[in-house]
Amino acid sequence: MTPNGAVAFTLLVIVGALLARDVAGLLVILAASACFALASRCAIWSALGWSAGIVLPLLLFMSVVWVGIVGRAPHEIAAGLEGSRSAAAIHVAVICLRLFVIAFTVQVAFLHFAGWTPLRFIGALALPRTAKKLLVLTLSLIDTILQAVDRARTALIGAGLVTRRRSWRNLRHGWILVQTVWLTVITIVLGRTRDKWPVEDTLARLEGTLAARAVARLSATDFGWMALALAGAAMGLRSWS
Amino acid sequence: MELIAGPNFSGRSEALMARLRERAPAFFIGPHAEAALSGLSSTVADEIEIYRAPKLAHAPFTPLDFAAYADRKPPTLSGGEQVLLALHCFSLSCYAAIGVDTALEQLDPGNRERALIYLSQDTAQNIAAIIADNRADRVDHVVGMTVREMTSTEGEFACDLAGVAHLPSRAPVTISVQGLSFRYPGGRDIFRDASATLEPGSAYRLTGVNGAGKTTFLKLLAGVLAPDAGRIELDGKPYAPWQSGNRAFGFATQNPDHQWCGATLAEDIARRRSVLTRRDFNVPPDEALAALAACLGVRSMDQHLYELPLVARKRLSWLWPFAGVMPWAMLDEPTLGQDRATRAALAGAIARLTGSGYGVVFITHDDDFASRIAHRPLTIADGSIG
Repeated sequence: MTPNGAVAFTLLVIVGALLARDVAGLLVILAASACFALASRCAIWSALGWSAGIVLPLLLFMSVVWVGIVGRAPHEIAAGLEGSRSAAAIHVAVICLRLFVIAFTVQVAFLHFAGWTPLRFIGALALPRTAKKLLVLTLSLIDTILQAVDRARTALIGAGLVTRRRSWRNLRHGWILVQTVWLTVITIVLGRTRDKWPVEDTLARLEGTLAARAVARLSATDFGWMALALAGAAMGLRSWS
Repeated sequence: MELIAGPNFSGRSEALMARLRERAPAFFIGPHAEAALSGLSSTVADEIEIYRAPKLAHAPFTPLDFAAYADRKPPTLSGGEQVLLALHCFSLSCYAAIGVDTALEQLDPGNRERALIYLSQDTAQNIAAIIADNRADRVDHVVGMTVREMTSTEGEFACDLAGVAHLPSRAPVTISVQGLSFRYPGGRDIFRDASATLEPGSAYRLTGVNGAGKTTFLKLLAGVLAPDAGRIELDGKPYAPWQSGNRAFGFATQNPDHQWCGATLAEDIARRRSVLTRRDFNVPPDEALAALAACLGVRSMDQHLYELPLVARKRLSWLWPFAGVMPWAMLDEPTLGQDRATRAALAGAIARLTGSGYGVVFITHDDDFASRIAHRPLTIADGSIG
């Protein structure tokens, strides 16, 4: 499978999950994603656990609000019906399962390419050069922020302003950490853009590297998985109607 | 190879950049990570790919097994490893010229020699190398090196290290490390059941190859990292800085930007003071700290720390170790970017510190500097400290 195929498959699943309006339809789409996960031989339990970790807090909160407090589904409220807690529970299940399907599919698609470096993955995407460069620069900024967080923590822990473990001191000085992180990000970015990038023409090199990475836009396997995602989405729609 | 020599603030960095711009595009390795690596890659493998030319223009320079580092994030490499990675990337690229601003000072003796020999093979490798390096004058095996001497005075940021570290004697504090084990997530063992005792009034020099774990050891002592096993004692009492916070070490990091707690010097001092006084540390008054900062070359408390030149930032990073607030001083590569006169004066200041009963742990690859200080060597290798 190509990265383009994985992105297309993921987008189709996401659209299908957004259009499906009941639990049965979402389960069909989830089954299509699970097939992809199994065929990819990726760490399916890790993907399930990660997705559940995202959805569970929302499930708990929505259950308390809609099932426990409101006791009716939104469409029942709109129609002025008395409603029931079971309808509210179904409403919560649909919302949370939809989020679960999306999170799971995105995670599985990334795990499928776990052996690829970010640059290789982005380079293989069928996107304009500028869009690819923007993606790389976005990842670069994220990494820079993470690096700055590490630096700022080193500074503040070394000075005794914060500690490694949770403490009131950390809460009190949290804003200093934020300020230090941003000052550090600015320093790092200025250091690169003032000296290294202009004299090396580093961004031009990046462009060349990304161009060299271009591969086939879509493979036959991609079309197979996209067909499965489309079929899942169609079945999801059918059970809704 | 062209060496741009001269004292600090003589304009070496500017001269180096000007020479590189004449030959642009040219590869550049700055003194710290943000100017050594491209910053565009999330992994070591990608960093190499960005620079790899379709056809080799020079002989590859591969001092480390970079395949073993392929998935690591470049900023997680040690300072020396980042410089070696940058040199490796250059060797695979099609750049004909390279500029290295003081970065070679971070390399251990073996890697430094290999790097200098590689860069000096101008004709054979089709490389034009321009370097600024405070220790290159001691390299007599580099042949064909042309030297461009810069001459000007320090001016605004001149320092007077003879005026620092005149501290009253203090009660000795012994540090004992027992059974220390540590590894970074997904990495190899940095320490395995390592033990060491640090006596006060002594200076300890940590040595080891690039990536051995020297800076990691300092971070463990300062509480920035927590060990997987083992314990640290302060005068025989348990000390867990990763839980309770650092109360033993005035820490000067390798990259000075890893230690500021504010945008200006006044802000940095005020924030540290508020925490230290609450924890019953005896912090000198602002006037004394301002005088110390002036000796280190920064004469205004309103000076924006991130706008200082790198050499001045590095010197100012010694403020807290020399302020005498903590019983121990930690200096990670204190001589980076410093000229010979400053290195000699710094050695004198460290000697005064130990003479007053303070303990000092320092990391340096500069044998000449270390030889000026009475010290005990501590070598980190294969997970142990010996």
